[in-house]
Amino acid sequence: MLAIQLAITGLQTGALYALTAVGFSLIFGSTRIFHFAHGATFVIAAYLFYWVYGTGWGLVPGVLAATLGAVLFGLVLDRLVYVPIQRHEGSFFTVFVASFGVGIAVQNVIGMIFGRGFTSVSTPLSRSAEIIPGVYVSPLAWIAMLCTALLLGALHFFLRRTHTGTALRALADDPELVRTFGLNPRRIAATAFVVGSALVVPAAIITSATTGLNPTIGHHVMLISLAATIVGGIGSISGTMLAGLLLGLAESLALLVVDSQWTEAVTFAILFAFIIIRPSGLLGRIAAH
Amino acid sequence: MEAYIYNLVNLIAIYAILAVTLNFIMGYAGIYSLAHAVFFGLGAYVAAWVALHVHPSIFVTLPAAMASAAALSLLLALPALRVRGEYFVAASLGLQVLAVTVFSEWKSFTGGIGGVLAIPPADVFGVEVFKPQHFAIVSIIALIVVIGLINALVHSSFGRNLRAIRDSESAAASFGKNVPMIKTLSVVISAALAAIAGALYASYMSFINVESFTLDTSVLVMAMVIIGGTGTVAGPIVGAALLMLLPSAISWIDFLPQTEVGALQQIIYGLGMTLLMIFRPGGIVGRRAAV
Repeated sequence: MLAIQLAITGLQTGALYALTAVGFSLIFGSTRIFHFAHGATFVIAAYLFYWVYGTGWGLVPGVLAATLGAVLFGLVLDRLVYVPIQRHEGSFFTVFVASFGVGIAVQNVIGMIFGRGFTSVSTPLSRSAEIIPGVYVSPLAWIAMLCTALLLGALHFFLRRTHTGTALRALADDPELVRTFGLNPRRIAATAFVVGSALVVPAAIITSATTGLNPTIGHHVMLISLAATIVGGIGSISGTMLAGLLLGLAESLALLVVDSQWTEAVTFAILFAFIIIRPSGLLGRIAAH
Repeated sequence: MEAYIYNLVNLIAIYAILAVTLNFIMGYAGIYSLAHAVFFGLGAYVAAWVALHVHPSIFVTLPAAMASAAALSLLLALPALRVRGEYFVAASLGLQVLAVTVFSEWKSFTGGIGGVLAIPPADVFGVEVFKPQHFAIVSIIALIVVIGLINALVHSSFGRNLRAIRDSESAAASFGKNVPMIKTLSVVISAALAAIAGALYASYMSFINVESFTLDTSVLVMAMVIIGGTGTVAGPIVGAALLMLLPSAISWIDFLPQTEVGALQQIIYGLGMTLLMIFRPGGIVGRRAAV
């Protein structure tokens, strides 16, 4: 029974990991910008929801505020930080440090406003129901899985079937070629930031209603996103998705053998094993070197 | 007041050792590690254990701390050999997270959250050094020795090999350089020297716990290197001094509650890093664009 319970929890966690990581992977894969502040996007979305919903303005305004906050943060960061840096150079390190700095600042501003402790939102949907004897699942778990399936399905359609989606994939291959086709690489990159940032919103909201939030959760989000991107294979959206699910499941099933404080160690062990044994990841074609 | 200033001098010296050693792998080998606090912590715990159970002489505690950090650093060198840049950042971030868990769970060795108490003061040639003004002599000598060692390394053929690898690994390999060996050695040296800071910190504070060795510390040290100037000699020292003086400067603001000093410090250096990368990627000391 415990194994089934943990597997379902693991799928729920994994679905949310997949969404968050795909957001990062989409931005990193198409623009080559090492968007370390992706964790900060998560924190901003989660706390905006916590604030708006917690004040009693209802679910829809909460979701809207979180989405708007996440998308604006991604766009503004791209416009004010990444574009100026890429104008003079744009080595991995410069972009990483700039993004990292923003992440630290956001974490502390949120901490000063909302406090540094754990907070969570309680919704009527958080209550668990017994589906088979001994196995408790909250409606939020189904919502998490459904949301992920729908959004990733929509993303797949967007990338494969629409003009903008094709341009996004082309940007990953060759920015110069995109330009010769009369498209503006900057505008396509901005699209990547909008879509990638919006993808973390459901994960941020559901996390705030299940396991809870604190301002430093951004680091955890980043570790998961990076691990899923690498384990899945850089540039492979489906690989990232699979890896996110795998990490969530592994983290949860590991509770059968270890205590809960070791769950991040499980993530690290998987990441480490992949870096050593298979740096190109599950579905990656090119080596990470 | 005097004790306050000497205390700052000691902390600056200890953090400058960390910054200088991190700069060695970041600036010259292109290995961006978010796990430097792991070696700081390991050095501190090992030195504390040795001082409590074996002998408090720094000629016993320092070598023990350095040897264990060097051994553990192989865990960091392994992924550094396989991947570079962004992928290595992820591996080091994972190692840092894992180390914090180990530091807080391995209670028999680290004391868990409670930490290690009553660590004997440093013993130098039989003299117990516990006053901040006396300890300042020890910490500054240690800093000078570390800077001297790193400088000598950077200007030796080893340093040239490192820079060659940083700029082009395949070119260095095609010139017959043993790339994995040189990279591993640089990580081992950096970790072992960082452990000196840990050992000094343990005997100076006489109390340590996991709080001092978290990701925040790794980030702080990285910020020192970047803000000062990556790949420069004076940069990490300038960065360490600036960032360690920042909390004292912030405490002058009357209306700010004492509990928010740390947060404001992090906001300032976070935004400082971002602004520097936009306008002056080489850092305060650096002239050229960052590498």
